[in-house]
Amino acid sequence: MKLKHSLFTRRQFLNGLIGGWVGAFLASLVYPVVKFIFPPYKEPDEVILPLSDFQDMPPNSVKNFAWGSKLGLVKKNDDGTHFAFVGVCTHLDCNVAYMDDQRKFFCACHDGWYDENGINIGGPPPTPLRRLTLVITEEEMIVKKESPEETS
Amino acid sequence: MKKGLQTWLDERFGLSGITDFMTKKTVPLHKHTVWYYTGSAILLFFAIQVVTGFMLILYYKPTLEMANASVARIMTEIPLGWIIRSVHSWASSFMIAFVFVHLLSIWIAKSYRRPRELTWMSGVLLLFISLFFGFTGYLLPWDDLSFSATKVGTDIPRAIPVVGAWVTKLLRGGEDVTGDTLTRFFGIHVCMLPVFLFILLAVHIYLVQKQGMSLPLEAEDNQEKVKEIPFWPNFVFREMIVWLLLIGILFSVAIFFPPSLEKAADVMAPAPEGIKPEWYFLFLFQTLKIFPAHVLFVSGETLAVLLMLFAVVMFFFLPFFDNKPTGTKGKVITLLAYVFILYALIMSVWSLL
Ligand code: FES
Repeated sequence: MKLKHSLFTRRQFLNGLIGGWVGAFLASLVYPVVKFIFPPYKEPDEVILPLSDFQDMPPNSVKNFAWGSKLGLVKKNDDGTHFAFVGVCTHLDCNVAYMDDQRKFFCACHDGWYDENGINIGGPPPTPLRRLTLVITEEEMIVKKESPEETS
Repeated sequence: MKKGLQTWLDERFGLSGITDFMTKKTVPLHKHTVWYYTGSAILLFFAIQVVTGFMLILYYKPTLEMANASVARIMTEIPLGWIIRSVHSWASSFMIAFVFVHLLSIWIAKSYRRPRELTWMSGVLLLFISLFFGFTGYLLPWDDLSFSATKVGTDIPRAIPVVGAWVTKLLRGGEDVTGDTLTRFFGIHVCMLPVFLFILLAVHIYLVQKQGMSLPLEAEDNQEKVKEIPFWPNFVFREMIVWLLLIGILFSVAIFFPPSLEKAADVMAPAPEGIKPEWYFLFLFQTLKIFPAHVLFVSGETLAVLLMLFAVVMFFFLPFFDNKPTGTKGKVITLLAYVFILYALIMSVWSLL
């Protein structure tokens, strides 16, 4: 049945109404499912490491630390300064290794190479290793999530 | 007595329809009949996976701390544990190999032509489920190699524009491959995938029964009568011979070449040299490796992944493109199957060099 000035019949109206209800009901069921299957994750704002762990590093070497659930690398340069990287390849996420004899970072997954400053120089990696800011105080090494360019 | 039970059950279930069907079912005999055996070979390996899976799960512990150690225990302490794990691992390879052969033979023989499009599509979905089974199972021993391979594998979807990062997170259960990923993969492997597989398998097998065996193109055109043998017992007995042979081969390789177990994965350790996925992903792995970092404006990875997705979609809808089997288009599509085989072989061998 359709009223004279109506755009749709009573049947269409009721079907639309029920369809909308069912849709909204299902959406309200799907929402908690989707929320549940993604666990919360927050990248650390900063990680504080005892300086003593890193004092006896020889120049041109790296040492691991935990950057949240990722590998972090502290590298000591020849001039005694330190760099901090997220030690995860920018190609497909493998952990990289530092080859001190070649002064390069190497990713074994698909033969990716980075120079000693973390710049991608060979293989598939599309971007440099991610740098983190490193602040050294009397007793601590504080790694912050910004890259050094952002902070300076 | 036996008759009595049969009637009793029949009265309740109405089984006679099925048994009648089975006794009347025939299988055509022609020079391509051998490919018919691949389907039941897949079922055989799947049954072996179910049984050995039930056994392994008695001892396996899907947590970060226990996974590697529990597999080590299965390998060293549990009586015959190493054979069970070896059979499970090898049967997965055999099963996937036969799924590939099954699909390729259907592609080349064009058995998916009308009205069997849905049989093909359910088959392609079963292939993906099998591959996903393999992918999730590979991580479970939680050693260096499987950890790194999973890092790479789960990072690949990230290259898909818009939804990619979300898919990676969904697979990993977070930003990184962690203990959560392990537990999640375990759940997918032993709980979710089996349910999906059984449903699709039921649909697939129903369609095959409903439509009967597909005939090769030539035989269909010739209009002459193709020889047929009864499915039961003639064809089933022939299949059993094949099964016995396959079981023999499977157990031989399982006993002589058991899979290794490296030390437990360290989430912070650099990726080991020579990481490789299972053999059936090697050609994709090599494809990713040879793509340069940038192609024109997009990253090589995105391009590679989009190409792969495109190929997958085409593959899924293949029967609809291949609608004129005897024309030039049909011939080109058959040729593509051979090109694919050649490509996969070359890439896989290359990745091993
Ligand atoms: S993940 Fe490092 S090169 Fe591919």
